[in-house]
Amino acid sequence: MPSKKPPPGHFNLLYFAASSSYTKKSVEAFKAPVSAADLFDLLEERYPGIKDKVLSSCAVTVNYQYVDLDDDGDDRAITIKEGDEVAIIPPVSSG
Amino acid sequence: MADRIPALETQIRLLEARLRRLKGDLAEARKTAEASAQVYETLGPLSSSEKDLKLAIDGGFPDAWRTETLAALAQPVSPEAKQKKHWPLSQEEYRRYGRQMIMREVGLEGQLKLKRSRVLIVGLGGLGCPASAYLAGAGVGTLGLVDGDVVEDSNLHRQILHGTERVGMPKVLSAAEGIKSINPWVSCRTYESHLSAENVMETFLDYDLVIDCSDNPATRYLVSDACVVLGKPLVTASALRTEGQLMVLNYPPRPPGDTTGGPCYRCVFPRPPPADSIVTCGDGGVLGPVVGLMGVLQALEAIKVLTKTDPISKEAADGWAPTEPPSLTIFSAYSAPQFRSIRLRSRRAKCATCSVQATVTAESFTSGSLDYIQFCGAIHSVNLLSTWERMPARDYAAVRNRSADKETKGHVLIDVRERVQFDICHLDGSFNLPFSCLNSWPAPGTPGSESNEDSETQKLHHQLQQLIVRDPDEPVYVICRLGNDSQIAVKKFKELGFDNGGIKWIGDITGGLRAWKKDVDDGFPEY
Repeated sequence: MPSKKPPPGHFNLLYFAASSSYTKKSVEAFKAPVSAADLFDLLEERYPGIKDKVLSSCAVTVNYQYVDLDDDGDDRAITIKEGDEVAIIPPVSSG
Repeated sequence: MADRIPALETQIRLLEARLRRLKGDLAEARKTAEASAQVYETLGPLSSSEKDLKLAIDGGFPDAWRTETLAALAQPVSPEAKQKKHWPLSQEEYRRYGRQMIMREVGLEGQLKLKRSRVLIVGLGGLGCPASAYLAGAGVGTLGLVDGDVVEDSNLHRQILHGTERVGMPKVLSAAEGIKSINPWVSCRTYESHLSAENVMETFLDYDLVIDCSDNPATRYLVSDACVVLGKPLVTASALRTEGQLMVLNYPPRPPGDTTGGPCYRCVFPRPPPADSIVTCGDGGVLGPVVGLMGVLQALEAIKVLTKTDPISKEAADGWAPTEPPSLTIFSAYSAPQFRSIRLRSRRAKCATCSVQATVTAESFTSGSLDYIQFCGAIHSVNLLSTWERMPARDYAAVRNRSADKETKGHVLIDVRERVQFDICHLDGSFNLPFSCLNSWPAPGTPGSESNEDSETQKLHHQLQQLIVRDPDEPVYVICRLGNDSQIAVKKFKELGFDNGGIKWIGDITGGLRAWKKDVDDGFPEY
């Protein structure tokens, strides 16, 4: 399934690996703008438990760039805008 | 002064290990030289044709033969050809590697670099098999192979160096056989044990580059930390189900604190995933070509690193950076685009391993201060239910035998494996409620929270509810593959009040379908 453009006023969130299993989705549109710092809370609201079970160890990217959303991360001030592509990338260790 | 003692001790240990290895190499070289000298001694004084033969055996091309050969060819001979020339590769090697050597990216120089290289492969499974096979094919001089497992039937669909006839054999020995058959010029060193904090420094020391093909978070962090401390570039990849990840880390391999060095695994994933959320290929499944692809990409990235042209001057070396900035490649077989390349940050300012604030050092491996298993959380077997909430498979078989239809009349059997596993095999009369649907089960008294559920899940929830209320006395048995998810499901059902305040018995089958196969029906499929 090709990643479709998000509807006007939205951004696309891509789920990989464990985040995709948890949400049972590979892509979902959210209303923009959203502060990067609020992203995890937004997801927790929609998928209770996801923060501890999945997101706490994930990498997050905005438009193919790694962003650091740690408590004192540099990128918490970023605003996710309309049309952006955000991805949740859990560490996968199996091989 | 006292705080230097452990550091010095570690350094001595590492140097002693290297010395031991060098002495071993020397002893072997002496043995070979002696053996060949003995052969010629027993032959006595050599005639001139025997001398030519000796030279040929030793790998040279006798002048006398050259003249004869050239004469036989009766071609005009250039003066250069008459001179004895020493070629850096054997005739067979020129033929074997010709197709890659004629590429600008490799060339003779790159081929010689590959031949001089020593690459360590951690894990000889779905990633390690293709990675080592391609590196062997490319002519990497030495391949170190680390794995403590033996080949199993369930490996064969993806671990392509291991053949059916090698089931039961240690993976490193099986892989070494496969590698030798691809390319006898490669020297294999096998380490038939799992990597640990105690053996990692000694194992990594002699190698130029490490390829992480392991299968668990603790090893991922261990390998990355050791690579940073010893200054080795690391090619890491992983795969699960239909997805894969690939990164070249600690490249360039600068000392901790040097911000121009490449990021390490901790920079990208500073916190390990919760231990109880780890999905292995055994639980989650994996497609052979997906993990194979990631392993092949690891070999490719390794070749790129190993054949990279050295900077010419010191100035160039100081300003030297890899041509590509650090990136994370994500492969997803069933989406478009299939490949995504994420641009990574440089080293994390507070990284525990590669920043100025690094706390991981060479001596922390041997001192036991680094407990990777603890860092990643030990996986405890699930033990949520009390004895009276659990039923051994044999006893449940008796329950079925007593039932009027020898199946589930008089009780309810719920199988909480995912639908695709249920479709492979299940006990007759069981109802399938996939474990993943339990997460989205609405909490009691919140009818509005069902908005996120797909209709399929809603239907299942409805059917289950019917089944549970059908007869208040009917006990409910929950079964899964191994007996872990079934316990969590029983807990969840009780939280939802399905046990009618304790009147209705709800419990699980201890050990799941694996126990059923072992204790009741050995004809039941195991996958």
